[in-house]
Amino acid sequence: MATILTVDDSRSVRTIVAKQVKDLGFEVEEAEDGVQGLEKLGGREYDLVLLDVTMPNLDGPGMLAKMREAGNKTPVIMLTSESKRSVVSGVMKIGIADYILKPFKPEELRAKVLSVLQGEGGAEEVLAVSSDPAPQAPEPSSQARVETGKQFVDVLVVDDMENVHKKLRTMLPNHITLNGVTSAQAALQTCRQRVFRVALVDTEIPDVDSAVLAQQLKVLQPHAAFVALALRTTNDVMGEARAQGFDNVLFKPFNQDNVDDFLGQYFDNLDLLSAEENVLKVAAFTGRADRIDKYFARIAETYGSLLNKVAAACFEDVVLDVSAAPTTGDKLAKFLLSSADQAKQVGMRFAVVGTADLQKILNSYTETKELRFYGSVPEAQAAAQA
Amino acid sequence: MGAERLSEQLEQIVLKRIAEDSLILPTLPAVVTKALEVLKDPDVSFKHVGTIIERDPVLAARLLRLATSAAFAGGTKKVTLPEALTRLGAKAVRGLLVEATAQKVFVSRDPKIADSMKRVWQHSVAVATLSRDVLALSGNADSEAAYLAGLLHDVGKPVVASLLLEFERQVTEVYNRPFIDSAEWVAVIGRTHRAVGVALGEKWNMPEQVTRCIRDSAEYDNADRASLVNIVCFSNSLAKKTGIHAGTIDADEVDALVMIGRSIIGANDEIIKTLTRGLKERVSNLYD
Repeated sequence: MATILTVDDSRSVRTIVAKQVKDLGFEVEEAEDGVQGLEKLGGREYDLVLLDVTMPNLDGPGMLAKMREAGNKTPVIMLTSESKRSVVSGVMKIGIADYILKPFKPEELRAKVLSVLQGEGGAEEVLAVSSDPAPQAPEPSSQARVETGKQFVDVLVVDDMENVHKKLRTMLPNHITLNGVTSAQAALQTCRQRVFRVALVDTEIPDVDSAVLAQQLKVLQPHAAFVALALRTTNDVMGEARAQGFDNVLFKPFNQDNVDDFLGQYFDNLDLLSAEENVLKVAAFTGRADRIDKYFARIAETYGSLLNKVAAACFEDVVLDVSAAPTTGDKLAKFLLSSADQAKQVGMRFAVVGTADLQKILNSYTETKELRFYGSVPEAQAAAQA
Repeated sequence: MGAERLSEQLEQIVLKRIAEDSLILPTLPAVVTKALEVLKDPDVSFKHVGTIIERDPVLAARLLRLATSAAFAGGTKKVTLPEALTRLGAKAVRGLLVEATAQKVFVSRDPKIADSMKRVWQHSVAVATLSRDVLALSGNADSEAAYLAGLLHDVGKPVVASLLLEFERQVTEVYNRPFIDSAEWVAVIGRTHRAVGVALGEKWNMPEQVTRCIRDSAEYDNADRASLVNIVCFSNSLAKKTGIHAGTIDADEVDALVMIGRSIIGANDEIIKTLTRGLKERVSNLYD
C-alpha cells in the first residue's frame, strides 16, 4: 500500500489531507515543517509527499531543495496558498509533480494524488497539437452514468425554437434520451451538469455566434460529437459547418431518413451486435417498422468482423443469440443462413439461440431447419462441450 | 548615459505622462464611439446603427464580411449592413467595433516594430479566444467581456513601442546618442505597458473588469478564483505555451502559470487539450 507524507504547519490541513488520502486506501504520515519532513524521509521511503510552501523552521522550497540535493526523488505535490509565479516557477525547477492551490476541493486532491501514484506523472505536457484526432464520443445510452457521477444523456438540442426539440423527440426512439435548451446560457449550465453523447446546435440562435458557443460547449463536453442544425441552402453548408468546428450537419426541417441516418451514425451501430467470448448477441430492434432492413444490414456488417475475432481466439463454435431480434418476415431467417455460411467458411460450428417462435419459423424452411438451435446460451454451450 | 539609466528614464517619462494625463493615446473613431453609444439602447434599430457605421466604409465592409462568414443559412443572397448587424446581434457588434479599432493600434508602418506588433496582435486574439472558452467552465455565456479582456490585455504594448520609437528618433537624431538595445526595449515595454493599457481602456470606456484584467492579469488572484483576471492570466499562459506569442518568453514562468492555472481554474488535462486543439488554425483564420 502506498504511503504519503503530508508536510504542513496547519494541523487542520494535515487532518483534512490525511482523511482524503486514507479514503483512497493509502497510508499517511504527518510532519509539521520541513525539518520534521526531512527527518521522516530519512527514516523510511514514501511514495508521495504533499508539501506546503510557507512553514516555520524550514519552508517547503527549502525542504524540497534538500531532498533533491540528497538524491531523494520521491514525487512531490505542492499544496499551498502561494500562487506567485516566481515562487511556483522556483519549486518547479527543483522538481515537483503537480500543484494544488488552497483551499482545495477534495476531488482535485484525490485526482492529482492518484495521477502521480498511478504513474501518470501529474501535470504533464497536455497541450493538444493540431493533428490530434477528434475526441471519441462516450459510451451510449446503456451507460446511465459515467465515472464523473454526472447524469448521461444521449442528445442535447440547443435551439431557440422549442418546437425543434419537440419535433426531434417524436422522431427518435424512446430509448434515446434528449435534453432541449433554448439559450446559450442554459446550454452551458446543462453541459456543466450532464454528459452528452451528441450536441445539436442551431446555427441561427439570435445574438449568439453558434461556432463560438459550440467551442465553449466542447470545453465542457470534450467527448461529445457536435452537429450543426442548419437549413438547406444552396451554400456548402457541410463545408461551412466543418470550418466552424462542427463534426456534421442535421438539416431542418427534419425528415425521418436524415434522422435515422443520424441515429445510425451516432447510436444504432454501436450495440446492435455485441460479443462475449464466442457468443454474439443481437440487440432488440427499436426503430420504426420500415427501417428493419437497415437494422439487419447493420448487424450483418458487424457480424463478419466479430466472427473473425472469435475465430482468431481459437474457438471452435460460434453461438449467435438472436432472442431479441424481430421474427416477422423472412429477414431473420435469411440473416441466420448467411451467418451460418460465413461461420462454415472460417471452419467454425454455428449454433443459434432464439425463441420458440423462431424455432418454428426456421423449421418451416428447408434451408434453415438443419441449423443447430437452442433455447438458451447455456444450452448451446453445453451442447458444444458434449 | 548608460543604457540602464536611459531605460529607467524612459519608463519614468511614460509613467509620468500617464499620471499627468499627457500621454497621447489612440482614440476610438467617431463612428465607433457613436455606434457604441446608440448600441447601449436595447431597443435601438440595426437600421439606425447601420446608418452610423456606413460612414466608415472599411469598417462596414469588415462587419459585412464577418456576418456573412458566420452565417450558415444565408444562401447566395447578398445581405445589407442592417441585416448583417441583426444577424450578428448587439453584443457581437459591440465587440467587433472595439476589435476593429484595437487591431489598428497594433498596426505599425515602422519596419522595426511592425512584425512584432503583428505577433502581439495574433497572441492577443489567441488569448481572447481562449478566455471566451475558459469562461464556459463557469457556465457563463456572457463572453463579451472575457473576449475583450483577452484581446486588450496587451494593448499598451504597441502604444509604448510607438513612444519608444519617438524617443529613439530624438535621442539618436537630435542628440546623436546611442539608444537602448532591443532587450531593454522589451524590458521597458514589459514594465510600462499595463499602466498604458489601463489608461487606454479607460479612455475607450471599457468595462471596469476589462481594465482590471489589463492591469492585474500578470498574476492570479487567489481571493477570487472565478475572476476574469484569472481567466485571462490562464489563457495568456496557455497561448504562450502553445507557441502563439511575440518575442522570447520565460518558459519556466509560463509552465508555472499553466500549473497554477490548472488548479485555480479547475482545468484538467482533457480540458486543456480541448482548449488548445487547433488553436493556431482557429486564430489564424481570424487574421486579416
